[in-house]
Parts: sequence; structure tokens; C-alpha cells
Amino acid sequence: MINKKSLQWIAWVLILPVLLIRGFTTIYPILKTVINSFYDIRILSGVHEFAGVSNYLNIFKDQKVITTLEFTGVFVVVSMFFHIILGVGLALILNMKFKGRRFLRTIVLIPWAMPAVVIGMAGKWAFNNDYGLINDLVRRFVPGFELHWLINTGTARAAVIALDLWKDLPFFAILILSGLQFISSDIYEAAKVDGANAVKSFFYITLPLIMRNVLTLCIPFTLWRLTGFDLVYSMTSGGPGEDTSLIAYRITMEAFTNLNVGYAAALAVLLFLVMAVFSWFNMRFMNRFED
Amino acid sequence: MTKNSDTKYKIYRGFTVVIRWVMFAVVAFFILFPVYWIFISSITPPGELFKTPIDYLPDHPTLESYSFLIQNVGLLAKIGSTVIIIGVTLVVGTIICVMGAYGFARFRSKAVSAAFGFIVATMLIPEVVTARPLYEFMQKVKLFDTYPGLIILYISSVIPFTVLILRNFVAEIPVSLEEAASIDGANFVQRLFLVVLPLMKPAIATVCIINFINCLNNFFTPLYYSNGIQVLSVAIVQLPLRDNMYGVPWDLVSAMGWIILLPIIIFVAVFEKQIMDGIMAGGVKA
Repeated sequence: MINKKSLQWIAWVLILPVLLIRGFTTIYPILKTVINSFYDIRILSGVHEFAGVSNYLNIFKDQKVITTLEFTGVFVVVSMFFHIILGVGLALILNMKFKGRRFLRTIVLIPWAMPAVVIGMAGKWAFNNDYGLINDLVRRFVPGFELHWLINTGTARAAVIALDLWKDLPFFAILILSGLQFISSDIYEAAKVDGANAVKSFFYITLPLIMRNVLTLCIPFTLWRLTGFDLVYSMTSGGPGEDTSLIAYRITMEAFTNLNVGYAAALAVLLFLVMAVFSWFNMRFMNRFED
Repeated sequence: MTKNSDTKYKIYRGFTVVIRWVMFAVVAFFILFPVYWIFISSITPPGELFKTPIDYLPDHPTLESYSFLIQNVGLLAKIGSTVIIIGVTLVVGTIICVMGAYGFARFRSKAVSAAFGFIVATMLIPEVVTARPLYEFMQKVKLFDTYPGLIILYISSVIPFTVLILRNFVAEIPVSLEEAASIDGANFVQRLFLVVLPLMKPAIATVCIINFINCLNNFFTPLYYSNGIQVLSVAIVQLPLRDNMYGVPWDLVSAMGWIILLPIIIFVAVFEKQIMDGIMAGGVKA
């Protein structure tokens, strides 16, 4: 460790490049977003005037945003529910000691490494009624099956969530796996001697030991769901109507397509506040959990 | 052990093995089949894509969609810009992140710790919050739609994860190694390059691999901060529709998708261990 005052300048020379670049892309834009949120800025009609909190009040009158918030909520809750259930399951499969393990661990990295837009574009075609992969597979079991997935609200939402799970579940499972690997096999041996079966050892040994890890992981995964953009952009463009539009997608559309900059800024500030409150609440909760 | 319980045990073992391979098959099918479907779609003649049921072994494989991409969509130029942007980002980004990580790990003062806290905290900031003002600023300083501009944004996006991982790694290298070197007369620069850097090689390789994937996945930045310069992830959503009325140029999308997928699959197969280590060390998203 180097604590000498005279050498501190070296530290600043070393960290200056990362600080400058990171500061340049975050500090000014955030301040500007907060300021913009109090202005009525509509580039298309050339409006730029102070508007107080009216942007914020308009949010709750905007049917598009209300639908968006509703789907964002559904998306986060449903997707996280399946992340936890299926993610733990997949982690257990990846942790099995057998010949196919290395192969499985390699292929689960493919969805993680694939750009979400590629998955979204493929998903758009996969859920096509006539020529898509999904209905084709279903028809092999249910001849004559017809379903226009992306045209109906419920099925379109289900399709978006399904693809989100396809991409991110393996990643979630790998992170749970890193906790699983630390559980010593001695504990299971001891439990076996005491007569515990596989189901019992899962609920009484594995689950309590990885619970903290799983809950901690839920924080970033929930935040990433809240800011999801690529998948919806490429797969449904928020449709039908606004039924699969996520909040980050809505903000981007207001900012870059409708050029309603002030309003978009207010939405962005709201999203940021929700994320900050959520993180703060979780940290409080995790601290209590630890005690 | 009696004969009876021996047979029972064998049946039990056999049962577990079967269950394992069934689960293996289910997971492998879910992941690989869609990927396989994208591949066969890309080598199926465009007309035959409008066929039901899907022919999973195309009768007339062709590379027509790929040659269309090269001749009419400028595929090679797009691959070129993607390689330039990611390449420079990895080289420059890694250098400044190694410097930063060393600074954060070895020098302790309130201000340095605060700076580190700032870098990590910026992970929380969603890009939509900063997007519009940053877009206007990039245009004002003439960095919009330029390689330097895009590269700065790409580097910025990899900084928090890279600095965090590398700093934690440097912190675990015993300072005594460096002290020994300085007793032998090594100066600061020699210590960094001859003592610390060689030990950091595996960590640097891991973050480079993960950053490569993250940069390839980056969509928001090239979509909104450039027009003329097109990388592969943006190009795939802007492919022209040839003669089909279904809104998805699936012939070209599948071919372009496969061009992005192929390096990813090779990468994942070769670097499985490093990627796993990196993900588990940092848990940071693609």
C-alpha cells in the first residue's frame, strides 16, 4: 500500500483516464436530463420553455405510459419469478457430475453471448403464425394449430417474456452455480447417512445455503429488466399498440422519435428514482437478512 | 450387502443416469434447436422459407443470402467497422482500465476511494437516462457518427466492470512482491510492467473476452450515436425487405444472425473456462 502524500499524484495520473471518460458520459448528461425534465421541449414544434412540474403531472394522464408501466411491472414480476424457479433448476442441472457437464456449460453461454437484437429479430419470425418455428413445432403435436402470437396482447407479452428468459436464464443460472459449487459434498454425505433423500437435502441444505445468493442476484436482474430495450425494439416495437412497450423503450421513443425531449427527461428521472429507491430498499432488506 | 439391495442400488443408479441425460437433452434442445433453425434458414433459398411445415434439412442449400448481403448490403464494410470499434475499444480500454485498477488498488486516500465509488456507482445509470443530452452533446463537439466518438462511448460502457474486476485482482497480489522489487532498485514503472502486469495476464484475458462479447452485444450506442457507421448489431434490424410481405426479411436476418453467431459460438467453445470465471467473478451483464 502506498500512503505517502508525495506519491498521490501518481494515483491521479493512473485513474484520470477512466474517471474522465466515465464522468464525461454520465455527470453532464444526468444533470442535463434533470434540468430538461422541468422544461417543455418539443423540437418538432420548436417549443422550449420552462414548464415547472407539468411534465411529471402529464405522466399520469398519458394512457401510453400507463400501459407501458403496467407491462413493465408484469414483465419484471413474471420474468423474475421464472428466473428464480427455472434458474435454480438449471443451476442444479449444470452442477450435476456427469459426462455431459462441460458441453452443457459451454452451450448455456450461447444465449448469454448472443446480442438481444438477434434474438429479437429471430423471435419476431419464430412466433409468426404461418412460417415460425414455434407454431411449426406445436403443429407436429397439434395438427392445424393456429395462433397469431404477436398480434394478441396476452400472447405477445408471453412471447416477449419467453425470449427474455431464453436469453438471460442461463446467465442467472451460472451465477447461482458459482454459489452451489462452494457447498461441500460432505454435508450431503452426512445428510444421506441420516436418511435424507434428494428432495429433502435440496430443501433443507441447498436452498437455505443459496437463498442469500439468489436474493442478491435478483437486485441487478430486476434493474436490468426495468431498463430492457433491445428485445422489445427488435421484436415487437412495443406492439400491439403499446402492450409490450417497456419504460426504457417508451422513453427512447419520446426522446428520439417524437422528439418530446422534456417529457422524455421527466420519464427518465422517474425511472432513475424508481431504480434508486428499489436498490436502497433492497440493501436495507439484505442487511436485515444478514443479521 | 445382500443381493437384493445390490440390484435395487443398480436400478437406482441407472434411473439417475437416465434422468440426467433426459435433462441434458431438454436443455440442449431448448438452446441449440433455435440456433440450428437460424442456420438452416440462412442456407435455404428465400422462396422455400415460405413453406409449412418447416423443412429442417433443406433440399437445396445455397449461400445466396450471404452473397446478397456482401454485394447489396455492404456486409464487409459493416464487419470492418465492427472490428475497428471493438478492437480499439479493447486495446485502449484495457490499457486505461489496468492503469486505473492499479491506482485504485495500491493508492489509498479518501479522494481515491470516492473516485472508485463513483466509477462503480455509475453502473446503476441506465443509458436511456443519459441518452438524449449525450446525443446532443456529441453532435455539438462533432463526435457524433465518428469512430472516436463511438469508441469513447464503447470504452465508457466497459469501464465499470473492467475496473472493478481488475482492481479486486490487483488488491490480491501481495504488495511484498513489489516491495522486494523496489529494494532491488526497480522504479515505479518497472514494478508495474515487470512485476504486476505479468501476474495480471489471466485476469486481463478474462475481462477482454467478456468485454468483446459485451461490445458485440452493444446496440443502443451504435443505434443512436451514429448514422453512417453501421455495426453488425444495428445492421440486422435495418435489413431491406426483399419480395416478402411479412415484415421480416428472414432470409437476410438469418444469414446476418448467423454471421454474428458464428464467432460467438467459436469464442464460447474456446474460452468456456475464462468466461465462466469472469462471469462468476463479476456477475456483470452482457
